[in-house]
Amino acid sequence: VSGERRRARVMSAVDDRAIAVLTAALAAENAAIFAYGPIGVRLTEGAAAQARSAEAVHRTRRDALVVRLTDAGAAVPPAQPAYALPFPVNDRPSALRLAVDLEDRTAAVWRAALAETTEADRRDALAALVDCAVRATRWRRAAGVNPTTVPFPGKPA
Amino acid sequence: MGADDRRYAERRWTRRALLRAAGTGAAGAAAYGLTGCGLFDGDPGPEASPDPLEPLRRDAFRLAALYDAAVVAHPDLAARLNPIREAHLAHAKALATVIGGASSAAPDTAAPVAPGGDAKAALAELRAAEQDAQRTATQLCLQAPASRAALVGSIVAARACHQEALR
Repeated sequence: VSGERRRARVMSAVDDRAIAVLTAALAAENAAIFAYGPIGVRLTEGAAAQARSAEAVHRTRRDALVVRLTDAGAAVPPAQPAYALPFPVNDRPSALRLAVDLEDRTAAVWRAALAETTEADRRDALAALVDCAVRATRWRRAAGVNPTTVPFPGKPA
Repeated sequence: MGADDRRYAERRWTRRALLRAAGTGAAGAAAYGLTGCGLFDGDPGPEASPDPLEPLRRDAFRLAALYDAAVVAHPDLAARLNPIREAHLAHAKALATVIGGASSAAPDTAAPVAPGGDAKAALAELRAAEQDAQRTATQLCLQAPASRAALVGSIVAARACHQEALR
């Protein structure tokens, strides 16, 4: 299948609402990648490694979204040079708190994407929701927060 | 009631419609998770077929009961296990709201066998049960109409997180 035909076929299968949620997911992933920078420098050893691998997963998801949106013929907004953090990160506790916070936020965006997607897009959104939620659980444990789980991951409070 | 709900309600065929369609519609029925159990064995009710999310609700009660049994056998795990047990009951409650109808009471679940052995073995059994239940929920999320996908997705993620919390 030529690139043109492939693009036409994919576009017909993706509606505007799906494009909107995938674009929102892209923005959330870019913000998460940014936030792991200041988080990483405040962590050591195991937690620092955990931050690096979390960031790598967010990069993989971001790259997949860029491909997906491009294939659908949609605009791909670039990452911002910087993102405002919800609170200052200047030590290990605040770094862990931000890690929990950003995984919760990213989980919420992916959860919202479920309703607007089907088939492979929904499968990807679900996988992303699950792994954001699991990372939030790990970060809560690292931060000594109990319980480490929430009843409805990704659900707006 | 949104358009998705309406469309979905139409999919929840009556028993009669299902039987009528059985000759040509087996593939369609399978696509909506109406295969096998409950169709020709047992009696799911006079008219309505069981809700596709019924297995999810049943699993939520069953898991809550497993945690109950584990806390009885290992009281020192209570602080860790009780929040997870509460989450399963919250899932069952949320599902009952979505499923509606007369089936909102806790189903009769076979008395779960208390996870045997030491605490480590009990945690491993709970993890395995969560993993199975996550798999079921994943399939249901992928098939769910838009109006239900987010709730079911959260339940999938919760079951994954429980496995992590049991490590």
